[in-house]
Amino acid sequence: MNRRNVMAGMGAALLALGAGVWRFGMKHYPDTPYDDLLDQVQDREAAATLGETTRETAPGLAARLRAAKPLAVQAAADAGAGRTVEISGWVVPKSVADYAALARLNRPL
Amino acid sequence: MTAFLDARSVPNATILTPDLAIVGGGPAGISLALALADSGLSILLLESGGTSFDPKTQALYAGEETGVRYVPLDAGRLRYLGGATNHWGGWSRPLDAIDFETRKGVPYTGWPVALSDLEPYFPRAQELIEGGSWAYAKGAQGAPLPLAPGGVSTTWFQFSKTKDSPLPTHFGDRYAAALKAAPKITPMMQANVTAIRLSKDGKRVERLEVATLSGNSFMVKPRFVVLAAGAVEIARLMLASNDVMKAGVGNGNDMVGRFFADHPIPRDVATMVVFDGKLDPIYTNATPQPGNPDLIMRAALSPDAGFMRAQGVAGSLTTVENGAPLDTLGTAAVVATAQALGVDASRAKAWSLGCGMEMTPDPERRLTLSDARDALGMPRLKLHMTISDDDFAHFRLTLAELGRQLLAAKTGMIRLSYDSRAQWLAAMDWGNHHMGTTRMSADPKSGVVDANSMVHGIGNLFVAGSSVFTTYGSSNPTLNLVALTLKLGDHLKKVTA
Ligand SMILES: Cc1cc2nc3c(=O)[nH]c(=O)nc-3n(C[C@H](O)[C@H](O)[C@H](O)COP(=O)(O)OP(=O)(O)OC[C@H]3O[C@@H](n4cnc5c(N)ncnc54)[C@H](O)[C@@H]3O)c2cc1C
Repeated sequence: MNRRNVMAGMGAALLALGAGVWRFGMKHYPDTPYDDLLDQVQDREAAATLGETTRETAPGLAARLRAAKPLAVQAAADAGAGRTVEISGWVVPKSVADYAALARLNRPL
Repeated sequence: MTAFLDARSVPNATILTPDLAIVGGGPAGISLALALADSGLSILLLESGGTSFDPKTQALYAGEETGVRYVPLDAGRLRYLGGATNHWGGWSRPLDAIDFETRKGVPYTGWPVALSDLEPYFPRAQELIEGGSWAYAKGAQGAPLPLAPGGVSTTWFQFSKTKDSPLPTHFGDRYAAALKAAPKITPMMQANVTAIRLSKDGKRVERLEVATLSGNSFMVKPRFVVLAAGAVEIARLMLASNDVMKAGVGNGNDMVGRFFADHPIPRDVATMVVFDGKLDPIYTNATPQPGNPDLIMRAALSPDAGFMRAQGVAGSLTTVENGAPLDTLGTAAVVATAQALGVDASRAKAWSLGCGMEMTPDPERRLTLSDARDALGMPRLKLHMTISDDDFAHFRLTLAELGRQLLAAKTGMIRLSYDSRAQWLAAMDWGNHHMGTTRMSADPKSGVVDANSMVHGIGNLFVAGSSVFTTYGSSNPTLNLVALTLKLGDHLKKVTA
């Protein structure tokens, strides 16, 4: 196994970890004013890691997301319609990036 | 059986008078000679090298490179019988219909022939390259990567594989016996054509000058000449033969050597994640087809003609390469996205993507003569290499579209590796697919050869090989150049009758 395979293996293990959290129960996070939105994000740490700093404030971003469809519906619709953005090269549905930004803004210190 | 002649044993000042002289014994020259074997024409096949590698002969290929870093001119080709097929990869795919079109907003596009003009010649070309039965359109058995409707779809490579060997067909070894067996073909080794001499009016080739590294020289006065010495050397020979036409043979419009092209092959252009980790191995390996071991196929991803027209992007063939690492951010991106889409990513796997890209035609990407001379006294070449930012940007659009289609199908997602010119250039390899230096055009002002591969204005001089490609597509060139050469063979049968 070369270095690259080892790293690929590590990536897969990390994925399994994230997915395991999703499968076997929700993690508990400190309360935020945006839990109605962030509860749609099963792994807030992953989302916060993905989330980029945004000019929008948390209340502004939250207001926009509350006015839109739930994440599960919106993410699929964004992908279908080509509403994607790039985060460090990762092409993701716009709504995924928005929720990730909200998670980042509310990351426990 | 005619044995191979050795030019070193031809006495000085000899004048040979075949009907047809073919300059160069690579896949173009060999395919043409075999295609005309029964035409009644006496054919002299002049090959610079012998039947194996010789460093002194190879050194005749050395030159200079400026501009974007490129493969040294003596490294990306081989100067002996079989030419560059002595080290080719055997990847094969026909050009697409759109490759021949005049594309809106893309200057210098549009061939004077269409894909349909080449189609009758593909079956024989496919036999010559030993690419297996024609399955490019039908594709291989296997599970295609599920993609939502959009601009990118799965397409197919086939691979040359020579009889009783895992290697791709080395034209010299493979067809040596057939060349020897053809009574009207005289293959001559160690014969370097050093000049094309025209009649005073510049309308016909009168003779070729031939020299050997052992010091003798002689002349060939054929009725017809086909230059098949590869896209770099053909331009050199034409530019260096500048006694009657001062800018070089066929270069009245300053077109010879311009529009040089290759396929850029940047490494690790993207990371593709498949959420369920399932990807048919046909995407990652050249795979012999069940029950048909001579048919070897591999899947790739390419932009459709509609997407290319709408977005103004060039062709590309994206391949899935090795398993790829995911860093913390990548893992987070996959977890967050898969969860939002309601997909289980617990078995997700990631691969790096590679590609072959089409370049935009550029007259400034060109070969000119340098002041240096080779051991035979011929001027060496200087290549000025360019690649435009648009080429990278266009290919990036295609990758982003692939990413969108993966997301929309809930199949997976993509990370684009590069967004600056410096990053693209640092990752750059090249296909060694030399093309475009004697491009085909209806109008002599915008090219070097006409639709029949005749050098504009010189009635008995023709060119075979990918130097005649007007644009380049993203397909590997050899199958296509052999098909074009066979078309030229049919034309020569008519004009020499
Ligand atoms: C590393 C590598 C990998 C490749 N992989 C692929 C691939 O996977 N698929 C694909 O389609 N293509 C591939 N190619 C490109 C392929 O090899 C070329 O497209 C093909 O060989 C060109 O054929 P040709 O006959 O026009 O020229 P060449 O193969 O270059 O042959 C020219 C011949 O002319 C002779 N010659 C040169 N100058 C003179 C002279 N002055 N007088 C007499 N003879 C002369 C040479 O010795 C040579 O035999 C690859 C090339 C390289 C270098």
